[in-house]
Amino acid sequence: MSTRSLRACLLCSVVQAESVFKQQGCPNCESILSLQGNIENIRDCTSTVFEGLIALNDPNGSWVAKWQRLDSYSPGMYAMKVVGVLPDEILKTVEEEGITYVPRDGTGGEEVA
Amino acid sequence: MEDFNDVESDNEFNPAPAEDSGDEKQTQSRARQSSSRARSRDVDVDADDDDGEDDAKVALSPGKVSGAGGDAEGDDDVNGEADDDANGEVEGENGEDDEGEGEDLGAGDDDDEDDEDEDEEEDEADAVGRPRKRQKRGRRNQFLDVEAEVDDEEDEEEEDEDIPDEVHPDDLLDRHAANEHDDRAHRELDRDRELVSQVEVEKLAAAMKEKYGRNRAAQSDAAVIPQRLLLPTVEDPTIWAVHCKPGKEKEVVMSIMKRIMDRGKTREPLQITTCFERGEATGFFYVEARRQADVMEAVDGIQNAWPRKAGGEVGTMLISISEMPDLLKTRKTKILEVGTYVRIRKPQLYHMDLGQVDYVESNGVDITVKVVPRLDYGANEDLNAALDANGKRKRGFAAQNKGPRPPPKLFNSDEAKKRDPRNLNQVRMVDKKHWTYKGKDYINGFLYMDMKVNQVYTDSVEPRLEEVTMFAAGQEDGTENLDLHALSQSLKASTSSSDYLPGDRVEIYQGEQSGLAGRAVKVHGDIVTIKVSSEGPLKGKEVEAPKKGLRKAFNEGDHVKVIGGKYMDEVGMVTRVKDDRITLVTDANTESITVFSKDLREAADSGGTTGTMKWDLYDLIMLDAATAAIITQLDRESCRILDQNGNSRTILNSHISGRIDPRHGAIAQDANGNEMRTGDLVNESGGEGRTGKLLHIHRQTLFILDRGQTANGGIWVTRTQNVMSVAAKGASAINTGRDLSKMNPAMQINGGAPQPMMPPPRIFGRDKMIGKTVSVRKGVYKGLLGIVKDTTETEARVELHTKNKLITVNRDLLIVKDPATGATLDINGRFGGGRGRGSTPSGGQTRYGGATPGARVPDWGGARTPMGASGSRTPAWGMSGSRTPAAAAGGRTPAPAWGRSGGDGGKTPAWGQGDGSRTVNPYTDGSRTSYGGSGGAANVSVPLFFSAESLYLTTPPRTKAWGSSSRTPFHPSAGVGSRTPAYQPNQSAYNAPTPGAGPYSAPTPGGAPTPAGAHTPGAHGAYSAPTPYDAPTPGYGGAPTPAAGGMGMDQPTPGARYGGAYGTPAAAPTPGAYPETPGGFADDDGPRWE
Repeated sequence: MSTRSLRACLLCSVVQAESVFKQQGCPNCESILSLQGNIENIRDCTSTVFEGLIALNDPNGSWVAKWQRLDSYSPGMYAMKVVGVLPDEILKTVEEEGITYVPRDGTGGEEVA
Repeated sequence: MEDFNDVESDNEFNPAPAEDSGDEKQTQSRARQSSSRARSRDVDVDADDDDGEDDAKVALSPGKVSGAGGDAEGDDDVNGEADDDANGEVEGENGEDDEGEGEDLGAGDDDDEDDEDEDEEEDEADAVGRPRKRQKRGRRNQFLDVEAEVDDEEDEEEEDEDIPDEVHPDDLLDRHAANEHDDRAHRELDRDRELVSQVEVEKLAAAMKEKYGRNRAAQSDAAVIPQRLLLPTVEDPTIWAVHCKPGKEKEVVMSIMKRIMDRGKTREPLQITTCFERGEATGFFYVEARRQADVMEAVDGIQNAWPRKAGGEVGTMLISISEMPDLLKTRKTKILEVGTYVRIRKPQLYHMDLGQVDYVESNGVDITVKVVPRLDYGANEDLNAALDANGKRKRGFAAQNKGPRPPPKLFNSDEAKKRDPRNLNQVRMVDKKHWTYKGKDYINGFLYMDMKVNQVYTDSVEPRLEEVTMFAAGQEDGTENLDLHALSQSLKASTSSSDYLPGDRVEIYQGEQSGLAGRAVKVHGDIVTIKVSSEGPLKGKEVEAPKKGLRKAFNEGDHVKVIGGKYMDEVGMVTRVKDDRITLVTDANTESITVFSKDLREAADSGGTTGTMKWDLYDLIMLDAATAAIITQLDRESCRILDQNGNSRTILNSHISGRIDPRHGAIAQDANGNEMRTGDLVNESGGEGRTGKLLHIHRQTLFILDRGQTANGGIWVTRTQNVMSVAAKGASAINTGRDLSKMNPAMQINGGAPQPMMPPPRIFGRDKMIGKTVSVRKGVYKGLLGIVKDTTETEARVELHTKNKLITVNRDLLIVKDPATGATLDINGRFGGGRGRGSTPSGGQTRYGGATPGARVPDWGGARTPMGASGSRTPAWGMSGSRTPAAAAGGRTPAPAWGRSGGDGGKTPAWGQGDGSRTVNPYTDGSRTSYGGSGGAANVSVPLFFSAESLYLTTPPRTKAWGSSSRTPFHPSAGVGSRTPAYQPNQSAYNAPTPGAGPYSAPTPGGAPTPAGAHTPGAHGAYSAPTPYDAPTPGYGGAPTPAAGGMGMDQPTPGARYGGAYGTPAAAPTPGAYPETPGGFADDDGPRWE
């Protein structure tokens, strides 16, 4: 995995190569973002700017996952912080789905402080 | 059912999706429900239709039999309709028709209801949290929505009405009346039952969730829990920090991820829960696991991971629970706004250059940044560089070696056209000068680069004024337009959060408490406790809030003081409040200024303070290491300067890096080679012929003030070669001093070139002055007592008793004092002695002898200078005078000595005279007596007298010693004849030696003998030679000398003198008994000289 082509999903922060997003979509939010095969959506809903890598092995048993709100996701690579914002349409969809969107840009961490 | 009506609207008529209907439980429950319904209908039918009871029953039975699931109900309905036909079922013909229809009908109805049932169940699940599916299905069934939206009951009525229409108008009435009512009751009952069964449904939903839960996107329930409730507990796995190669954290985590994936399929998956890094090159990554062994297993053998460091050092550290959240803390990336200043990180060419955000893509990642281009228009391009196949790498490499990067300058299309036209294209735009050069966009001279946010630094940008003006100057109309708003955007981040003091009025503008206002009661770190004053349930209560979401609150009319920013110290009245921007009118000049509320404080004092400026008008200041400038105009927050290149501009005070203190006596050469110094009047030699007063000389640059001019406050700058000094006022006197030594006749006497001064004698070892208690004789510290801490040849560092301060004083200015009594000591004896050992005295004496023939007395008496000049023995003297405090004291402490001499001195002569031979006296008393003797040269004698006396009489005891010494000679003179030299003119030669010994007690130089010798100049000269010989004698130590030397006779005298010199009263008696003297002397001497 070269670091270059990696992108992080703005919704779940999963980190994958762009090609993987294209082939398989996002393992967690495919149903909402439908990234598979959709380059445009990939560009919109994922970001190349992210910080901190988390290799998630056991989402349920991990405090890190809980803290990062990754505990319902599938194992894989996640980012600690993703810079970027979801496009408004997508945000709307997300909200319609009844999901509280927590931005992954580090604001979550500040709530605590 | 009604509860879900609106929600499920789109789902009705949904042909049950496979996933749902396939569920066993569901089917079962449905079956149960429908059968129960069927049963209830049976009852109804029985009750209503008396006629067809049997038929109905008959008719019902097949329904029941076949009625796996929903059919039962349908039969029910059919039943109802079939009533009219009576026995329809059996007969078949009519009945078939009817029944067929009825069944259709029933099926429709049935389906409907069945679906409802199913939907209910589904919805149960959906409501719990499966929004996605609904969406999906909604999409699929969009064309059915219209019908689906119709409400159940009305729906049924309508359907009931419609369908019979199609079927049989006659049937309608009866069936209608009968059915409608019955159904209601049934359904109500059904609903009750369903309620009961809901519990089961919920279980079902949970199962569903379990099964499909993973596919959910952001879990809504998880997101709702605030992070502070997620803090780690002891039950959570622990985190270990593991060493790795700094900068390789990502790679390590990726390798471990790979290992996790690989091992996940095997029988022994990795047991760690997560492994992460923080995105910083700290040389650590972190592994979360239950056991450390798991960590090691995951990490072992991973490249660049160092779980065990060399030398057995542990490379794995446990992170305490309290620190765990900090590990995952991320800072919010600053949201860039258009106009914000940033610093470029990449590309390297613009590294650390200031850029201005021109556009921010909605994703917040892609930005367009405007920078001042650094272009050389191909000047440094290596045309011969071989082009690589892919070209890129090579060019990149070459670019690195391409010499210095060009300075930032606005894009110049003309230049580009001239030098490198191939790469230049103009983009037609209506109002902008838009070019592309080498594939990059240049608009209005600026380079616009598309970048990612991580290619710029947004923190601590701190734009400098020069840089900012570059951007500001880009206005087409030429007006400088400093975008202060943008500037403040950038500065906002750099200024730390403001300080709150208890008593400050604050309001919360962020977070859930937003809107609360009150007064700060307590400030602790980042938390401010506020006593709420705004209306609401919290009024009067104390609330804690982080500084982050706070701002100071002010009302219009408040009297405030600016405590930060460029308007610091301004005081004024608030006239407008908008968010955290507050406009106030200053008291000082009724100017309207707008500042952030954090920079304000309620002012207790009224009246504007002018503020203390660090700089003054016409101060020479430093802009950077190479640029000096002079202040030509001072404002509150800015000043106008004229730099050394003659450029005038306005800068902020903060950009002045320091003041250049005028070098005292800085000199420059003017066009004619004459020197000029600050304060001189100068004329410009060419050009405009300006004139003015030289204010500052800075290297080759002159800052000149011409009050007749208005430009730049009358200051003009020029190079030193361009001006002529008009009046070299006071120049020559100081520095063009003539060589006095050449004009000194006394020095000429010695013929020809004055010999260089003897190098000052070196005193080896520890300076005897060190540790002595001294008093300062002159200067600022005059009269103060101190201890000598350190000395050089000419100076002494004295620690003052009074001030606890170390001062550096000329040694000449010190008087040695007895620490106990405070009496003045003659340390000179020792010093003189020390020096006496050196060659100086001898040399000095020789010379003296030489000099004597001339005008001895005047020469001698002619004060010290000539002597010093002549380099005669006086130097020995003079030098000792200058160097040895004691001697100095001798030379210059007339006062004490005088005073004493007043008494003693008065005595001495009397004494000497009284004792007969005056000759003796001169000897004994040193110079003084000699004066007495030579009497004639009264005037001249005074200085000498002083010196002699002081040497002798620095201390009171000495007076005695003196007396004694004077006496001592007597004895010897009478008996031993040691005095003889003194007596006999011939032996005055020997006298000389005595002084030789003397110098070491300083009196010798008293030269007293010399005058004595004056009588026999010839002899003197001859004999003076031995003197040096004598000088060593003391060196041996006092004791031997007296014993051995024929001159020994002198000894007593010095002995006595010593005694005196050291202020030993004991010595005083000595004189009384001669024999004792040597003893005392010896005693005294031994230790002294060792």
